[in-house]
Amino acid sequence: MQKKDNIFYKIFGGKYQFLWITLLAIILAFVVGAVAIIANGQNPLLAYIALFKGSFGNINKVATVLTRTTILIFTGLAVAIAFRSGIFIIGAEGQLYLGAFASALVGIYLTNIPKVVHIPLAILAAMLVGGFWSFIPAILKVRYKMDEVVVSLMMNAPAILIVGYLVNEPFRDPMGQTGMTVLIQESARFSRLLEFSRFNTTFFIALSVAFLMIYLIQRSTVGYEWKITGLNPIFSRFGGVYSKKRMLQAAVISGMLAGIAGSALVLGEFYRCLDIISVGYGWDGLLVAMIVNNNPIGVILVAFLFGVLKTGALAMEAATNIPSELSLVIQSIVILFVAAERGVIALIQRKGEVPPIV
Amino acid sequence: MFRELFTPQLLRATIRMTTPIILAALGGLLTYKAGIFNIAMEGMILVGAFSAVVGGYFLGNCWLGVIVAILAVLLISAIYGFFVVKLKSNEFIIGIAINIFANGITVYLLRAIFGVKGAFSSPEIPGLPDVSFPLLDKIGILNTILNNHSIFIYLSWLFVLLIYILIYKTPLGIRIRAAGEHPKALETAGVSVSKIRYITIILNGILCGFAGAHLSLGYLTLFTEGMSDGRGWIAVATVIFGEGNPIMTFAIASLFGFTDGLAFLLQGLGIPDRFARIVPHFTVIFALFIVARRAVLKIARKKREVIRKET
Amino acid sequence: MEKVVEMRGITKIFPTVIANNDVDFSLYKGEIQALVGENGAGKTTLMSILYGMNQPIDSGRIFINGKEERIYHPHVAINKGIGMVHQHFMLVPSFTVSENIVLGHEKRKNGILLDKEEAIKITKEISKKHGFLVAPMARVQDLPLGIQQRIEILKLLYRGTDILILDEPTAVLTPQEIKELFSTIRSLVSEGRSIVFITHKLPEVMAISDRVTVMRKGRITGVLETKKTTMKEIAKLMVGREVLFQVEKEEPHFKGVVLELNNIKALSDRILLAVNGVSLKVQAGEILGIAGIEGNGQTELAEVVTGLRPLVSGEIIFQSKNINKASPRQRREMGIAHIPEDRLKTGISIDATIQDNLVMGAHYKKPLARGIHRYLRQTKDYAEKLINEYDIRTANQNLPTISLSGGNLQRLVIAREFSFDSKLLIISQPTRGIDIGSIEFLHEKILSMRDKGNAILLISADLDEIYALSDRIAVMYEGEMVGEFHPDEIGREELGLYMTGAKREN
Repeated sequence: MQKKDNIFYKIFGGKYQFLWITLLAIILAFVVGAVAIIANGQNPLLAYIALFKGSFGNINKVATVLTRTTILIFTGLAVAIAFRSGIFIIGAEGQLYLGAFASALVGIYLTNIPKVVHIPLAILAAMLVGGFWSFIPAILKVRYKMDEVVVSLMMNAPAILIVGYLVNEPFRDPMGQTGMTVLIQESARFSRLLEFSRFNTTFFIALSVAFLMIYLIQRSTVGYEWKITGLNPIFSRFGGVYSKKRMLQAAVISGMLAGIAGSALVLGEFYRCLDIISVGYGWDGLLVAMIVNNNPIGVILVAFLFGVLKTGALAMEAATNIPSELSLVIQSIVILFVAAERGVIALIQRKGEVPPIV
Repeated sequence: MFRELFTPQLLRATIRMTTPIILAALGGLLTYKAGIFNIAMEGMILVGAFSAVVGGYFLGNCWLGVIVAILAVLLISAIYGFFVVKLKSNEFIIGIAINIFANGITVYLLRAIFGVKGAFSSPEIPGLPDVSFPLLDKIGILNTILNNHSIFIYLSWLFVLLIYILIYKTPLGIRIRAAGEHPKALETAGVSVSKIRYITIILNGILCGFAGAHLSLGYLTLFTEGMSDGRGWIAVATVIFGEGNPIMTFAIASLFGFTDGLAFLLQGLGIPDRFARIVPHFTVIFALFIVARRAVLKIARKKREVIRKET
Repeated sequence: MEKVVEMRGITKIFPTVIANNDVDFSLYKGEIQALVGENGAGKTTLMSILYGMNQPIDSGRIFINGKEERIYHPHVAINKGIGMVHQHFMLVPSFTVSENIVLGHEKRKNGILLDKEEAIKITKEISKKHGFLVAPMARVQDLPLGIQQRIEILKLLYRGTDILILDEPTAVLTPQEIKELFSTIRSLVSEGRSIVFITHKLPEVMAISDRVTVMRKGRITGVLETKKTTMKEIAKLMVGREVLFQVEKEEPHFKGVVLELNNIKALSDRILLAVNGVSLKVQAGEILGIAGIEGNGQTELAEVVTGLRPLVSGEIIFQSKNINKASPRQRREMGIAHIPEDRLKTGISIDATIQDNLVMGAHYKKPLARGIHRYLRQTKDYAEKLINEYDIRTANQNLPTISLSGGNLQRLVIAREFSFDSKLLIISQPTRGIDIGSIEFLHEKILSMRDKGNAILLISADLDEIYALSDRIAVMYEGEMVGEFHPDEIGREELGLYMTGAKREN
């Protein structure tokens, strides 16, 4: 009512409120990060300059940022699609590992086939295992009302350990110093686009997939039903939606996207599977999706931001000796601030209690 | 191999592995009873473990280490409580954020304070004392299983009992349960639900501080990155599984502790380390599955009975 | 007479509405005062403020026994001797009766432990003193609502309450239980207590109260002495205009059976046989009213017919076709629309936008979609049309549905369900929690759907509604149909006997 005339409301309320919240949260998180840097006895300004130089200093650095962004788009979308549909699967990290290994197997052992067949087959293999790994907690939730958060979480470590075993024992490259498979066939590789970077064509695949997901989520009947199922499954069933089917579907697509993330690491970046192939991409994907409240466009933006942060943090560590884990601290604080601002706004609007709804 | 595995040593390992899980789970079940689905225990244990080492190393006393651990976890709990109780933010999102924050901050501070990466150990970190019961060492097998454990193992048993009494036998307990089951009923009875929830968050913080301190000072005196290693999550599963009953929760935690112990001993027997470490995770899932399936079957059976009787 | 409560200039503003606007209210010692008004008039908000909830308020002062008090939390109210029985009971279901009674004011033994024996003793004493029989060790979840209400009252008496606020206490009671409640209220008053009785049922106001305070849209519109007023006058103050208690209704034209139920059975969520061999027929162009006290299987009946609840046995025949196995979506497509009893949980998604809620069920069909592609323009127009046609008051269809008021929420659900090409409408408690102005509108809509040739199954616990709309009345008791009547051939009193199981046809 009279609150709409409020200047605060005019600027920050309305349609783009969410954008402001996120932006403010990011700035505040950097401020907190600065405090941590000062506590470490260093100059935050210099550190942040090093961070941004490390991300944007030259074309290769930007390429590195985009390489990370690619993977984060996949894992971020994976989480977003499941969460939107009300199925809270946090197994992207494990699914990514399985996807990576499956892709590597297809990439190594299928020979003498053309690129246009080989690459899709390798990706398909990753989608299958990723989707399967995600299907398990989903079906257990739908059938037995088991808590999918705990189940999917408990399935991460086994996936990573199994892949770790496979690349260290039966499929180990005898020449490798650490656990890794041999290189995949030439015909299964995405092309690298720059000489001194792992930046490769999977970036464009990620963008295409992202646009497909944006279409599905925002413009399709399926996306509508996902959303309603996530918001109120009883109502969605009442309205004639096959809500269990929609949940399972979302979970499987989520697992497939996480699998593709692993596939992109193998087919685009390393050309082989390693025992520590992911630097927490699954977890970062979780944060990416949560910061933007599972909005697919937001996922692309925040994935890029995290790409910058992660890449820059390593450069900052090299230049200033500030631990790169600062990026983890900043990332998690962004979430806290986003949640805080939503909470504070709700608190201001609430002003006491919510009116009783009859 | 069977005989090599099922020895008193296995039970001893079970007891040891159960302790950090049950300590965190006792905290988690208090918040659970008060109506907060708390998944931040993983991060809280980690912060506890790290700060216990910091406190113990610089203050030179293991108990001061424990106190520093508790204070540090209470600080994190204050953030958690502010978001979840005051701002009514999503418990799940805040829990995840706290866990990732804990991971980042401990690694960051490990580098900043000790200048090392991965792990920090030093002879100057004081360990928590072992306790030996004088009469027990006369009885061979019980001595092997029960005696000469680190002190928090015995304390955790005491806590199970205390928390059981707290929840079911005290005025605070009845209020905690009301806060979870029907918060408005409690509020209209003149008791602040927020206050009760803050109390459980504080108690959870203290218990997670104990769990962390036990992890880093109780057995080996060191801190490694990601030291909580999923125990906080297993504690979450334990709470769900035990439905918030401390005795049940202790039983379940012991089951998970047993699989942990089994994994530990299997590694000693030449089973690939990675396979051994899978065991506890799958046990958790399988155990949860059995319970969930039993509940579903029970309902189905009841339905069949009613239908048969009435038609 | 002595004023025990005086509230002066109370104003409480919620984000979307001014719930109380400069309200003055007073309660005398030893009186029963009815506080009446439509839903959303601000009655409950006002009394919640007196009970220390909905704080802080925007302005106003409260005096208890002549002394100004700051009642910022229920515990302050309790200390001042104020107690409130809420519309939704504030009892912890898994706790025993005695635990619920002492909650918040527990006695200790040995300084630490909860004294359960003392709690049981207290419960026995207090229930004996007031002539309520309750078992102290019974779990509240196993007790009927009438008993739960007694426990609520006992709880207040244990706390030494002498100002009792009862919020719509008769909503969940049978006619017999209402009588008992009224005699309890009278005896409490004779012991020197004062009572505020919130209701919107005018016959009850006339039967029990000494004075009436009427509210409308957050303001007081009248303070009357019950003996010197009439229902008509009160109704006018409540609504702000003359009220038609009866809508115009034409004779029905029956056009063949649409729905036929043959001996159907279904279970409730608590796995009891909630629908126990119901057989009935509904014809096109008629309204079959199902009367009954809530919880006698009506909800489950509606859910079985719409496919939301599995059928145990029997046959559901819709337009001569057995639809036992059809999914909810298939049934909707065949032409079964449903206005559920619990709008917030079942009938809408409160966090989705108004548009999302309006298009559900139409969202995948032409002209709103083709294949999986949604046409956003058409979707928007479709929602806009319904908003105008059903007069849903909102600034924007993309606002979250939670921003709508109760009456508008119901209009939204009805707009959606009535816009399908339906043959059968299942309507549960359509006007519960709706203001009188909207009730007229909704009743007219329901009748116009009948006259368009829909078969209508109307489930309502409100006998006024049943009589106003039904062409036939069936009574449901404990999962069975115990009688079927023409509305002219049976009076309310007798219908009440069927509803409570005191009487049944074979």
